[in-house]
Amino acid sequence: MHDMLQFARGPLFRLAFLVMALGLLRLVILALWGIGQMIYRARDHNNPYSKIVKTTLTWLIPIQRLHRIRPWLSYSSFLFHMGLIVTPIFLLDHIHLWRASIGISWPGIPKTAADALTLLVLAAGILLIGIRIFNPYTRRVSGFMDYFLVLLILFIFSTGFIASRPYNPIPYETSMLIHVLSADLILLLAPFTKIAHCVLFPLVRMTSELAWKFPPEAGKDAAIQVHGEVKPI
Amino acid sequence: MANPAAAAAPEQSAKAKKYPYYIEKPLEEGRVKQFLDIFAAILRHSNYKPLLDIYSRVVTRCARCAGGCQIYQATGDPEDIPCYRSNLLLGVYRRHFTLGGWLRGRILGDPGLQESTIDEMLDAFYHCTGCRRCNLECPMGLDHGLVMRLARNILSEMGIVPKALLVSVREQLQGKTANTSAIPAPAMMDTCEFLEEELADLTGQKIHFPIDREDVEYVFFPAVSDYLLEPDTLMGNAAVLYAAGDQDNWTIGTKYFDGINYGLFYNDAILGRIVEKEIAEVRRLRGKKILIGECGHASRSAKAFVPTFNGGEAIPVVSIQEYTFNALEQGKITLDPNAVTETVTYHDPCNLARSGWIVEQPRKILKSFVKNFVEMEPHGAENYCCGGGGGTVSLDEVHDYRMKVVGKIKAEQMRATGAEIIVAPCANCKKQLKELVDYYKIPATVVGLHDLILRAIRFPEKNGAATSEETYEAGEIKENSPVSV
Ligand code: SF4
Ligand code: SF4
Repeated sequence: MHDMLQFARGPLFRLAFLVMALGLLRLVILALWGIGQMIYRARDHNNPYSKIVKTTLTWLIPIQRLHRIRPWLSYSSFLFHMGLIVTPIFLLDHIHLWRASIGISWPGIPKTAADALTLLVLAAGILLIGIRIFNPYTRRVSGFMDYFLVLLILFIFSTGFIASRPYNPIPYETSMLIHVLSADLILLLAPFTKIAHCVLFPLVRMTSELAWKFPPEAGKDAAIQVHGEVKPI
Repeated sequence: MANPAAAAAPEQSAKAKKYPYYIEKPLEEGRVKQFLDIFAAILRHSNYKPLLDIYSRVVTRCARCAGGCQIYQATGDPEDIPCYRSNLLLGVYRRHFTLGGWLRGRILGDPGLQESTIDEMLDAFYHCTGCRRCNLECPMGLDHGLVMRLARNILSEMGIVPKALLVSVREQLQGKTANTSAIPAPAMMDTCEFLEEELADLTGQKIHFPIDREDVEYVFFPAVSDYLLEPDTLMGNAAVLYAAGDQDNWTIGTKYFDGINYGLFYNDAILGRIVEKEIAEVRRLRGKKILIGECGHASRSAKAFVPTFNGGEAIPVVSIQEYTFNALEQGKITLDPNAVTETVTYHDPCNLARSGWIVEQPRKILKSFVKNFVEMEPHGAENYCCGGGGGTVSLDEVHDYRMKVVGKIKAEQMRATGAEIIVAPCANCKKQLKELVDYYKIPATVVGLHDLILRAIRFPEKNGAATSEETYEAGEIKENSPVSV
């Protein structure tokens, strides 16, 4: 058991992290390449960059937007994300691991704060899943991954939480192993699922705006490719 | 046109919607291959591929956009959620144009695009008005207006376009009259002459509609239907130009005088061809600027796409509302603050307001002479569409859909203001709102902005409009700020 745990948080973790980092980097490069291509093909280069930056930042911390519609969904999603970003990075136990493996470290948050955040993520996550299931229209647009990813995150947080309790019903190493393995899994999945939005988010609004600047000949060229000519209407 | 249901029905899937469109060309077999071929060609030549790439990666399906869409709010049908709609196309993109999607399709045995998906898309995408209100609520920033356009673009290359749109564009691009209402140039000139007489009676001024004048500042393109349906708007436009001293400085071209551009709603190639007609007419008359009449999509299609098709040194585009606003700011026109005593509200056309382009200008104009101005909630960039956007207003066969579904919230909004006059500076919105007011028996009149201005505009004692020289220096309008429209 001990060896497996060492493996899961040693080589396996490193592999998962590498897949995630390279995978996400690839997506960012592809997105930037796409943006470059859009600019290159368009004839009109008068782009509203300041507006793009402004709306992107507004949505990065969307405090003023949350209550406007679907407040339950919006607030739980916001808190979920906050806990999701802060806890894994600033948990002292994780920072120790980093120091042990690559020698860098940063200030962490107190254990009680981490516990509180974990409970917050769990509560918000359960609410999110509940909304997905019980709200008929959210259910209609949801697919397997939409449930699976949240469940996986809940699983990671709860095993982490249980493992670090003094009165642990499951042996420490077992719960830790499950925790680490599932964390590895989500890192591996990140570039191939909607989790990619963690790095692509800043580029979406930019892409949307630039996409309105059509390449002037695009419509005609596509029609010619299909019909061999611009057909009469 | 008589039996729309019959025309679209034979091939429609079992789940055909309640409000079918009349399509000219019968729906054929073999559409799946056709669809994919056209999709591939468009992806190759256009800028949509990077867009779909990023959209299909980040879409989180939170359904928050549902709260922004008036169609969903009226029907409560999950299939009217913007994200559901867009996913119809994003799904096809993933499955047929990405490696991951192809693999997944192989493993899960997903056959991909079906005839029935195309039927569903036909319904879904032509029922969306492209108002882009949902974009305001998407945390990821997905623009369903763009996805809708792309889907319609593909469908239209297959010949799947509501007939009314197709027929109008056919006349505009290939017909003798070169406009969507098929008005011959002599008839247009007759109308102008008649309006000149009306204006003389009404104002005591000799206000002209200058025809085919060369080397002028503004070449004017209203929604051509105004010549048939909105004489007051046109008279208001001419009166302002006259009062501001630009009487000799604008013109209507006889070769091309239509601002309408349905290409904005469904097809990039057609959008470009229509914009090019405007540009050509301005060049023929050696005009300096394109002046668009009161019309949302006409203004936006010119403002946003003249630079696209005309390049860096594009001809500047001015909307008549910007023009009037500037004239008022510069003190060139006088509006009588006691002219309008009724309660007035203002409807924001999506194509003008969603991007924040024209929101304050008309309000400042109105507030300068309307005593009782009230707002609809929400308004401005967050307005609700009139319910006739995306070209649906010209489709008689979906009148019920426009009234009962898409226009429902607008009707409630209008009623809630208690306004007696509803100002809508857009040919499309006006038609839809007038029908809504009738349908829901709202005690209000729908008018254009310049209709009301015409009531309030006052002229100096002597018939002394400023000369052209004076206006050249004073009348500069800022039109080259970055646009997102
Ligand atoms: S708000 Fe955006 S991410 Fe959420 S369901 Fe709608 S389109 Fe998808
Ligand atoms: S563009 Fe308008 S009509 Fe279409 S889905 Fe979005 S909100 Fe609804």
